[in-house]
Amino acid sequence: MRILKTTFINIKSNKQLFFASVGTITIALSILGLFLFVYVNLNSVLSFWNEQVQLIVYLDDEISNSEKRRLEKLFSSNPEIVSFDFVSREKAWDKFQSMFSEKSSFLKGMGFNPLPASYNLKIKPSPERLNTIQTLARKLNRQTSVESVEYGEEWISRFETFMILMRVFLFALGALLCLGSVLIISNTVKLSVLSRKNEIELMLLTGATPGFIRFPFYLEGIFHGVLGAVVSLSLMKGIHLYLVSRFQGSIETFGRGMDFQFISLPFIMIILLASILMGWLGSYLSLQQFLGTYKKL
Amino acid sequence: MIQLYNVYKSYNNTPALVDVSFIIKKGAFVFVTGPSGAGKSTLLKLLYRWERYDRGQVLVNGINVGKLKFNKLWQLRRHIGVIFQDYKLLPGKTILENVAFALEIVGAEKKIIRYKAWEALKDVGLSHRKDAYPLELSGGEQQRVAIARALVNNPKILLADEPTGNLDPEMASEILHLFEKANQEGTTVVFATHSQNILREGDHAVITLKRGKVADTRIVA
Repeated sequence: MRILKTTFINIKSNKQLFFASVGTITIALSILGLFLFVYVNLNSVLSFWNEQVQLIVYLDDEISNSEKRRLEKLFSSNPEIVSFDFVSREKAWDKFQSMFSEKSSFLKGMGFNPLPASYNLKIKPSPERLNTIQTLARKLNRQTSVESVEYGEEWISRFETFMILMRVFLFALGALLCLGSVLIISNTVKLSVLSRKNEIELMLLTGATPGFIRFPFYLEGIFHGVLGAVVSLSLMKGIHLYLVSRFQGSIETFGRGMDFQFISLPFIMIILLASILMGWLGSYLSLQQFLGTYKKL
Repeated sequence: MIQLYNVYKSYNNTPALVDVSFIIKKGAFVFVTGPSGAGKSTLLKLLYRWERYDRGQVLVNGINVGKLKFNKLWQLRRHIGVIFQDYKLLPGKTILENVAFALEIVGAEKKIIRYKAWEALKDVGLSHRKDAYPLELSGGEQQRVAIARALVNNPKILLADEPTGNLDPEMASEILHLFEKANQEGTTVVFATHSQNILREGDHAVITLKRGKVADTRIVA
């Protein structure tokens, strides 16, 4: 109770500084939060696309029925393959023509069907899906009567590389912003400590335990951090709600079942815990520095 | 209660105390005197471990002061009341709150804090002004508050660093009597002063310092 009271007296006597510090932390955490928000949503796009990935096995034009049966048997016996569709050359050509109906006169004029027959394989959803597809593609590519196997490997791996870079960037940005916040808190608490120099000296003289002196300042630092985190998370939630109300329709045309994801609960907990840690560390550093001068005497 | 053996202390290679040795027994009243710069304040600071000494040994209330770690200093200081020339009162608190603060620091029960603080103010004759702020009081009154604050936790030792330095002779004499009263109740008092009037008025043992050395002792009780 005393600790809380002292903390609030400290904050009250340095009100402007407190709000400036909380404001800066809010901005720092909001920048981090925004990037996290973008990351979380890109990640959900990636996993959505991942779900859509199909393996297309193009067949040689001269494939025999027995070869087809052999391949189908192979597909059915593979537990990773949920289902498969056979797309004949004619069906593929019809589909192609319907997709490019405005060029139909040119296509009709071609006089032959250049498209191969294919099997579209649906793969069991799992986190290892892309690896499974890659292994399966290599295996199927070696089969006779298989002309080629496609699954959009290039763009998925490019997107995945981008996400890895994004993760590294987020870590670096997070570390830098946390460091910045720690320094800001440390400076604010230092000013708070200095404004109570006489009182602290008196505490030291009268026989206050180190905890008695330190805890109100620790709490003050933690309060800075947590308040900054709560305000920035609320801002993020506000942005999220705005995006959902404004753009949910457009994102659904982009992909069915897609929506704007908010930062997940574990991430929120991490941000809150990090803010507590930052607040404590900031206070700890400034107190160590301040009390260090008395240790040396 | 207080024992010093060959204590040496210097500031930037300039000696402040040189081979100081003496013993002050429990319940004694001792003046430490000497001209400015003789080492009176330094000596007191070593006793409550505000500063470290370079050589020698200091024992206070059975504690080897030199071996005490920073985070254990409270164990020593809780038994010592310290009084300064500039009072060191907190201007934002009333005088009752100033005295109560010393009780809060040692974790006294909330129920008794107000009462004990008021009692301590009454002992120095200031209970009627409990709600006044330090700067509303005269120098002598402020020093009485500082004494009340130093005594409120019933310390075994009272260290006073020129407590009458800023006061007129009448007020100084009044303050001296408060220290003597505390001494009669069992507190060991070490009173640093360069005032000859005070030394004459209080008939107590005297340790005289000159250039950091003990130049003379008069019946150290």
